[in-house]
Amino acid sequence: MSERNYESAVARVEEIIRRLDSGDAGLRETLELVKEGRDLVEYCAGELDAVSQGLEELKLEELVARLEAPTAR
Amino acid sequence: MSYVQPAARATSSEGELPGPYPVGAYAAQLKRRLLEFARVQLAGEVWGLKPGRARVYFELRDGRGALPCSMWLSDFEALKLTLADGMRVVVGGGCDYYPGSATSSPSFSFAVTELRIAGEGDLLAELERLRRRLAGDGLFELQKALARPLLPRTIGVVTGERGKARDDVLAGLRRRGWAGRLVWAFAPVQDRHAAPLIGAALRELAAIEEVDVVIVARGGGSLADLFAFCDEGLCRTVALLRVPVIASVGHHSDRTLIDDVAAVCCSTPTHAAEAAVPIDCRAARADVSSLARRLHGHSRRAIVERARMLGHLSRAPAQHVARHRHHLHQLLRELRASARRACEVGRSRTGIHTLVLGRTASRAQGSDATRRKHDLERLSLALAAHDPDRTLARGYALVEDRDGRPLGSAAEATAAGDVGLRFHDGSVPARVTR
Repeated sequence: MSERNYESAVARVEEIIRRLDSGDAGLRETLELVKEGRDLVEYCAGELDAVSQGLEELKLEELVARLEAPTAR
Repeated sequence: MSYVQPAARATSSEGELPGPYPVGAYAAQLKRRLLEFARVQLAGEVWGLKPGRARVYFELRDGRGALPCSMWLSDFEALKLTLADGMRVVVGGGCDYYPGSATSSPSFSFAVTELRIAGEGDLLAELERLRRRLAGDGLFELQKALARPLLPRTIGVVTGERGKARDDVLAGLRRRGWAGRLVWAFAPVQDRHAAPLIGAALRELAAIEEVDVVIVARGGGSLADLFAFCDEGLCRTVALLRVPVIASVGHHSDRTLIDDVAAVCCSTPTHAAEAAVPIDCRAARADVSSLARRLHGHSRRAIVERARMLGHLSRAPAQHVARHRHHLHQLLRELRASARRACEVGRSRTGIHTLVLGRTASRAQGSDATRRKHDLERLSLALAAHDPDRTLARGYALVEDRDGRPLGSAAEATAAGDVGLRFHDGSVPARVTR
């Protein structure tokens, strides 16, 4: 995955589930897929958390000022 | 002599400029030349309307240039129009030039003799020309090729600060259950002159790396009201932005050019907000939880079920032997039982055969003795039938010689002479005399 984002993460987890559902994966592959899937699910949950904590409204100039402040980033 | 002529003819052979001429004469020729221009209609926006004593003055502008205009005050008042800056009009007239004098300044203007507010048809025709130009430059496809995130963290919104579109965007985001960072870039959204400010707001938003998608929203209005969103410069700006732009300008029936260049165009700001967040965050959370549970289930099954299978396999040999032992014992029991049953059956059959044979033998023995007795009796009777005594008993007499041998013929009796006659109750001697 070159650039991780929510949609690619969800797509990969669904792909992993399909592979596991097929029953063709051996023990080692299953454990590796489950580990990768858990990481991705955690990432997706984090992304959902980031847009669920409460709407933050900013004016453009406020955001620009915040980004340009020395402590920004 | 004509002072106002094409540049190539006006240059002297030595390369020096012709003249000097009297400026008044030049100005008069210039006026004549300008008056030769054909009378035409021009479309543009009115700016700086200023009534004078005899004429009204204003500028006619569009995105590419401007022209000073004047109109007789009486003609203008007869129109009974109230013009405001930025209003789109169509004027008819021709060039005019006041050459000035020693005491007055010259001036150029487009002498307007007709003036009307630009109609929908004028605007649509201009819009269609611009649409074809932008499409020809391939600007309608650039935004549509951009990837739109399913779950943006930061959304930029360009809209009027006091417009209803702002509330509609918030309502759409609430409907999606989205509560991330929203960056408002307020800008005027009325008339053409808003376009540079809208474009600047879009560029600033797109320059911020955190901004994932931008919404441009404005409520409904007349086509003239929405014309800022048909500005060529703004449309080119939108087309070249790195972030996808979702446009919701006017109502569904109002098709502005920004709708064509944007990644997505929506009929309302609420829909634009929903397009900016294509998924329902609450449903997505449930989906992610479901995926997590399924992964956990696979993980548990991968270990527990395999461990269970291994345990089962480790017990399998002993169970296999026990199972076979049990099977063999069962077979042995069945074999014994079967043997017992076979012996009993054999014994029973033997007894029956013995009984049958005994009875048969006994029957056979009994019938033979009887038969022999009967035969004996029959033979006795047959013999008795041939017994001479029985014949003698019926009154017959047997002729015997002296030795007691029976004589069966008269000749033998004659020959014997002396014979004995045996009756059933005794013999008497007799003599044959002949």
